[in-house]
Amino acid sequence: MSDEIEQRVRPKEKFNFFQDQRVRSALYQILTAGTVGWLIYYLVSNTTKNLQSRGMSTGFDFMDVSAGFDIEFKLMEYTPGVGTYYDVFIIGALNTLLISFFAIILSTILGFFIGVLRLSNNWLVAKVSLTFVEIFRNIPLLIQIVFWYIGVFSLLPVVKKTIDISLGAERILLNNRGLYIAWPVPGETFWMTIAAFFIAITGALIYRRFAHKKQDQSGEQTNILLPSLAVIIILPLIVYFMTGMPLEWDVPVLEGFNFVGGATVAPAFLALLVSLSIYHSAQIAEAVRAGILSVNVGQGDAAKAIGLKSGKVMSLVIIPQAMPSIVPPLISNWMNIVKNSSLAIAIGYPDIVSLFMQTSLNQVGHAVEIVGLTMAFYMLVSLIISVLLNVYNKRVQLVER
Amino acid sequence: MAIITKEKSPDRPAPLSETTPLGWLRINLFSSTFNTGLTLIMLFIVYLTISGVFAWGYLDATFVADKRRECYDNSLTGACWAGVIAWLDNIFYGRYPRDELWRVNLGGVLLVLWMAPLWMSRVKAKVLVGASVIIFYPFLAGYIFTGGDKSWFMQFMVSGAILAFIINMLNMLSGLIENTSFAKFLFKLSGQVEASDKTQRNLLYGVLFAAFIVIFAIQSSWTVTEVSWTKWGGLFLTLVISGIGIASSLPLGIVLALGRRSKLPVVRVLSTGFIEIFRSVPLITVLFMATTMFPLFMPEGFFLNKLVQGIISVVLFNACYMAEIVRAGLQAIPKGQFEGSHTIGLGYWGTMGLVIMPQALKHMIPNIVGNIIGLLKDTTLVSIIGLFDILGMLRSISKDIPWLGLHKEPLVFGAILFFIICFSMSKYSRHLESKLSAGNKR
Repeated sequence: MSDEIEQRVRPKEKFNFFQDQRVRSALYQILTAGTVGWLIYYLVSNTTKNLQSRGMSTGFDFMDVSAGFDIEFKLMEYTPGVGTYYDVFIIGALNTLLISFFAIILSTILGFFIGVLRLSNNWLVAKVSLTFVEIFRNIPLLIQIVFWYIGVFSLLPVVKKTIDISLGAERILLNNRGLYIAWPVPGETFWMTIAAFFIAITGALIYRRFAHKKQDQSGEQTNILLPSLAVIIILPLIVYFMTGMPLEWDVPVLEGFNFVGGATVAPAFLALLVSLSIYHSAQIAEAVRAGILSVNVGQGDAAKAIGLKSGKVMSLVIIPQAMPSIVPPLISNWMNIVKNSSLAIAIGYPDIVSLFMQTSLNQVGHAVEIVGLTMAFYMLVSLIISVLLNVYNKRVQLVER
Repeated sequence: MAIITKEKSPDRPAPLSETTPLGWLRINLFSSTFNTGLTLIMLFIVYLTISGVFAWGYLDATFVADKRRECYDNSLTGACWAGVIAWLDNIFYGRYPRDELWRVNLGGVLLVLWMAPLWMSRVKAKVLVGASVIIFYPFLAGYIFTGGDKSWFMQFMVSGAILAFIINMLNMLSGLIENTSFAKFLFKLSGQVEASDKTQRNLLYGVLFAAFIVIFAIQSSWTVTEVSWTKWGGLFLTLVISGIGIASSLPLGIVLALGRRSKLPVVRVLSTGFIEIFRSVPLITVLFMATTMFPLFMPEGFFLNKLVQGIISVVLFNACYMAEIVRAGLQAIPKGQFEGSHTIGLGYWGTMGLVIMPQALKHMIPNIVGNIIGLLKDTTLVSIIGLFDILGMLRSISKDIPWLGLHKEPLVFGAILFFIICFSMSKYSRHLESKLSAGNKR
């Protein structure tokens, strides 16, 4: 009897090789690593064999070879036949970053605006913004880009019938060749105006701090916005006029068949900017709306109860609490903007994919290196953005009690 | 000093809000001067937009014409839908032979019929229905679409698919009429309801096997002419690519997500690396990688066509997004569920398959549908690598000589088509979400 119990309480432990936790985990891992390793080896050996049989070279030497094609839109000096593929890579990367930067700013502003309108207590406003969001969210971005490019910006009037957006001042002109903007050329003493501007900002910041301190001590509120704005605008203006207006405008002038001078923005850039901004503002609007809704209703009621105006309720109580849930989707949207800017290839905006991954790849081959470099660029950008997100998340978590 | 009134104080009038149309208007549109102004401005914008679009798209539009010039003769400001109408077949089917279009339609009808029981509450054995769609439908549809001679394996799978479809339909009927599964109905029919499990099983297998033999014999004499994949196009191609993408990215995504949460470091690192690489690059770079690097990866003499390249990139790309959705769903499951299922003696796969996944999938549905919509929209990118999907077809209208330069109308048509598909899917997912979470509401 007691033997039986003994046996039941302590069953004989048999060491079963395949049932042992550690053996199994090691076995699985070796199996996975082996399969993946074999796959990589197989692909690499195939690739080298194929490259050899086609007489293609490898390595990054081609980056120093000069590229023969011209680039329409570039942020740095480049002459076809002189500039190397390295320059092409940099130009493409800069173009991608440029369009992404402007699209991020525009879509964030527009997205916040529409997200707040979605929650408006005006029925019509709420429904119109809902319609906007649903329409632009559910149509593929590529169709939108092509539509804006072919359906809108290519149908603008020809050069002879240029539209003057600046109402007769001929400073901002729009036609089917693009947008022409008068560009400021700073004179010798213009730095003083800029310095005055920064001094004014610093002064306004100090004033703001002072006002906050005063409010903390006495509860008295001082108007910060108006005096600050006045100082920031008036001080640089005074300096500007005192130094004798050292700023000239490089105005676009019609010469022959086209405008010369000023800054030119290609229609492809405009189309891409507009479509990316609208498409992503619809997504951001949803994130903003969800974030605001995630704040407890009682918070808004309490804020109203202590006598805050509805604008202040939003800016001082609701939005700060909604931010932790708005920011992560917002930043992932920014990441998507950078990635989606690669659709520029459909309308010929020279971003990194169309310049480097298509044109350069067709010219020199080196598929592996070029694809690797382009992907590395995007990974780097994503990495930087996700580091930003992590920093923000840490800060928010610390504030939380 | 208490004030006591014996009479009932008069009823207060009902608050103005919502009770009358006028009250509703006042509260929702004209509550303040600011709101009134806003409403009026909005009304004006809405009026401008709708009247402009209506005039362009309907009033001034041309629906019947042979050439773009005739559209211009009719009206200069209106849309020229005649071009889109003339190309409708191309938009939907690409260059698929016109005599064989019934095959594409048949494939679509089969899929709808096959999936229909999943939405019927009286039909039993839904898991089997779903599994049979995923396992058998691709082979049947693949053969119907491509045609040509069947290999041994294809003959086997096609017969299996036909059998599965027939059983599925019978199961649906017996569910709808008798409210039982097909197997139960079969036992009832043959008077074996009371028989032992073994007899019943033998009967079922016997019937299935006999049916399989018959179907196999019939289908071996049935062939359809071959249609090369280069002739596929339009919405059909878009749906094929996204269909394969959806069906294979979810299982692959689940595997990757489990790998990322695995306790085994090698598995975890590999899955994480794979997911993060594909998530941080745009789909277009993956597509270019497929077209330029896959030919290098393959052994000599082996060639992947562009369609397969496109499908592989869409699947790999979306599996990584799916994996992150699944991972988020798994994280939402409380730890007690894992511990509980370990306690009752379930191993890893038992825990995952029977306890965790069924709960987690419910949480994931909105995100999965969102991802599917994204996949459908992203599929338009394959037109950049030269496949004639719907966008490729829409854009080639403007290169057709009678319709030279007709850009806007096809794009608007495509936009409307996508809007209808994607919007109804997202609406349905929201409905499903509220239906599934009904049990959690108190």
